[in-house]
Amino acid sequence: MTDGESAAASNPVLYVVRPMATAARQFAKSLVRPSTIVYPFERLEDPQFRGEVAVAAGKPIGVGAIWDNYRGVHALNVATCISCNLCAFSCPDLCIEMVTVPGGDPKHPKKCPEIDYGKCSYCGFCSDACPEGCLTMTTRYELATAKRAEMVYSPAKLYEVFQHKLPMNPIRLERPANEDAILLDPPLCIGCNACARDCPTQCITMLDVPKPEAKPGEKLPKRIWKEPVVNDSDCVRCGTCISVCPKECLFWGGRA
Amino acid sequence: MSQVTLYSVAYTLSDDLLRAIGSVLPASARSWVTSSDAVTALALLVFGAILLAASMINTIVLIWWERKLLGRFMDRRGAMHVGYAGLLQNFADGLKLFRKHTFRPREADSLGFYFGPTAYLATSMMIFGLLPISSGWNAGAIPLTLLLALAIFSFAPLFIFVSAWSSNNKYSLMGGMRSAAQMIAYEVPLLLAVVAVIIVAGSFDLTTIVYEQQNYWFWGPLVVALIVFVAGMLAEMERIPFDLPEAEAELVEGWNTEYGGMLFAFFMLADYLRALVGSILVVLLFLGGWTLPSWVPGSLTSFPLAGIVWFMVKTYLVFGLFVWVRAALPRVRTDQLLRVGWNRMIPLALLSVFLAAVLVTVRCVPVFGCVPSPGV
Ligand code: SF4
Ligand code: SF4
Ligand code: SF4
Repeated sequence: MTDGESAAASNPVLYVVRPMATAARQFAKSLVRPSTIVYPFERLEDPQFRGEVAVAAGKPIGVGAIWDNYRGVHALNVATCISCNLCAFSCPDLCIEMVTVPGGDPKHPKKCPEIDYGKCSYCGFCSDACPEGCLTMTTRYELATAKRAEMVYSPAKLYEVFQHKLPMNPIRLERPANEDAILLDPPLCIGCNACARDCPTQCITMLDVPKPEAKPGEKLPKRIWKEPVVNDSDCVRCGTCISVCPKECLFWGGRA
Repeated sequence: MSQVTLYSVAYTLSDDLLRAIGSVLPASARSWVTSSDAVTALALLVFGAILLAASMINTIVLIWWERKLLGRFMDRRGAMHVGYAGLLQNFADGLKLFRKHTFRPREADSLGFYFGPTAYLATSMMIFGLLPISSGWNAGAIPLTLLLALAIFSFAPLFIFVSAWSSNNKYSLMGGMRSAAQMIAYEVPLLLAVVAVIIVAGSFDLTTIVYEQQNYWFWGPLVVALIVFVAGMLAEMERIPFDLPEAEAELVEGWNTEYGGMLFAFFMLADYLRALVGSILVVLLFLGGWTLPSWVPGSLTSFPLAGIVWFMVKTYLVFGLFVWVRAALPRVRTDQLLRVGWNRMIPLALLSVFLAAVLVTVRCVPVFGCVPSPGV
C-alpha cells in the first residue's frame, strides 16, 4: 500500500463520494424529465423539443434547424416531372425504376421514378440531379414496413409524401461549364429524329439543311436532310438525346 | 390484542378448506381429513406457498424497481410499456425464460450443472423464509434466526463454485473462483459487523433485535458497523462495484455463462432474492425493522398491515441505495477488492465491535439516548 496508485485507489473521496454525488445529481435532474424522448408518443420535431420552430404558426417543421438538410423519404411532384430519367441515371444504388404513370400520350408515355427503399442509401443524388426540382428529399424518417414489397414507393406514394409539404432539400447541382450544352457534330448526323422524339422537354426542333450538290464521282451520304437545333433555355441537360443518338453525334460541350 | 400471524391465517384457511371438503365425504374419511394433523400439514404447505409467492413477487418487483431507478440514474426511463409503468415487464421476461429450452454443454457435468442453480435458489428462498417481515410473519421465533440466516447465506459460494466448475468453461470457472474468494473475504467483516449488532441487542433473534431498537435505531450509534455491513452485503450480492464474478466485460457472464433459459432465471432470481434478503437484513439490523420511531403520528402506524408496508418501504429504499452505488461506482479489480476486504473492512468491523462493546458498557450515547439493558 505504499505505491502511489494504491494510495489513490483507496481515496474514498475520489472513488466513492464524488461519483455518488454525481450520480445523485443526475438522478435528481432526470426525476424531472430524463433526456430520453419517448419516441412513438413524442417526436423530436414536437414543439416542446424545438422551441425555435413555430409549428403552431403553420410553418413547416424543421425550418432553420438540424432538419435543414435532412435526407429522408423522397417527395415527388408528379405534375412537374418531365420524365427525363436523370434521377434513375444518377442513382448509385440502382433503386429507381421509371414506371409509366397516367398523363402521357401514347407516343411519349409519362414515366416517373419508383424508388425501392430497400436499396436506397439516401445519398440524395437523384434529387440533386432532378432538373425540375420535383424530386426532393424530405424530413420524413419513418419507413418501417411489415413486408418487403411495401418498401417500394410508387410515384403515387411519393406524390402523397409531396402533398404533406414537408421541408425539402432543394439543392440542384450545377453542371460543369464545359459540359453545359448539347453540341452536334454535323457531318455525322443522319437526321433520324430520335433525339427530338425522345427529348422530354420537346426542345429539339429538326431544321432543314440544304442538300449539297453531288460532285461527279462522289456519293452523297444516305440521310434525311434535317439537323437538330436545341432550344437552350428549355433544355434541362438530361442527356437523353445523347444517349438515344444512333450515330453518337451529339455530345456535351461548353456553351457557345 | 390477539396477534394475527401469517401462520394462523394459513391454519384458519386450511381448516376451513378441509372442513368444507370433509362435509361432502363419508364420516370415516371426514374424521381423517379434518384431523388436526391433516390441517397442520396443509397449513404448513399453505404457509410455505405464501412465503414462496411473497419472495418471488418481491424479487421480481425488486428487479423492476432497480430497472426504474437505474434508468433515472442513467437519464432514461427504464421499462415502461408492459403493465403500469412497466411493472409487468419482468413477469413477461420471466415467462419468456420459462418457455426457453435449457441447454447443457456436452462436456458439462450434469449433476453439478443442474444442482448448482437449483440449490442456489433454494437456499436463497430458505433465508427469505427465516426473516420476519413484520411481527407475526414467521411461524414462531427461532432463537438463532440471525445466525441460521447468515449460515445459509454463506452456502452460496459453494453452489456457485459447483455450477461454475461443472459448466466446464474457463470463464465460468474463473468467475466461480473469483466468487468464492470474494464471498469468503467479505464473509468475515460482514459477520463481525453483525456481531456488533448482536452485542448491543443482546440477542440472535431478529424479532428481538427489532424490538431492541425501540429507543433508537441502531444505524446511528453503529454507523461503522452499518458501513461495513453494506459493503460486505454488496460483495455478497455480487453487485457493482463488486461484481467481478460475473464481470461481463472480461468473463462473458462469469459463472453463469453456460446457463440459459430457466436455469439462468434461477440464477437471476436467486441473485435478486439475495439482494432482497440483504436489504431486509439491513432494515432489520439497523433500521428498526417494521417499527417506526415514536414521534411518528399514530395514524401512520395503525392501519392494517402497517408493519409490512413500512418494512417494504424501508427495504426498497435500502435497495435503492444499492442501485445508487451501482449507478455511481466502477467495478474494482480483484486485488483491490481483496485488499479493501482484508485490509480495510476487517479493521473497521473490529472497530465497530469495540464501539458496540463500549456502547453496551456506558449504556448511553449523546443525541440517541440510552440502550435498554440487553434482554437475553
Ligand atoms: S437518394 Fe440516392 S440511392 Fe436513393 S434513390 Fe436517390 S440517388 Fe438513388
Ligand atoms: S429527374 Fe426529376 S423530372 Fe427527371 S424523371 Fe426524375 S423526377 Fe422526373
Ligand atoms: S439534353 Fe437533349 S434530350 Fe435532354 S432536354 Fe436537352 S435537348 Fe432534350
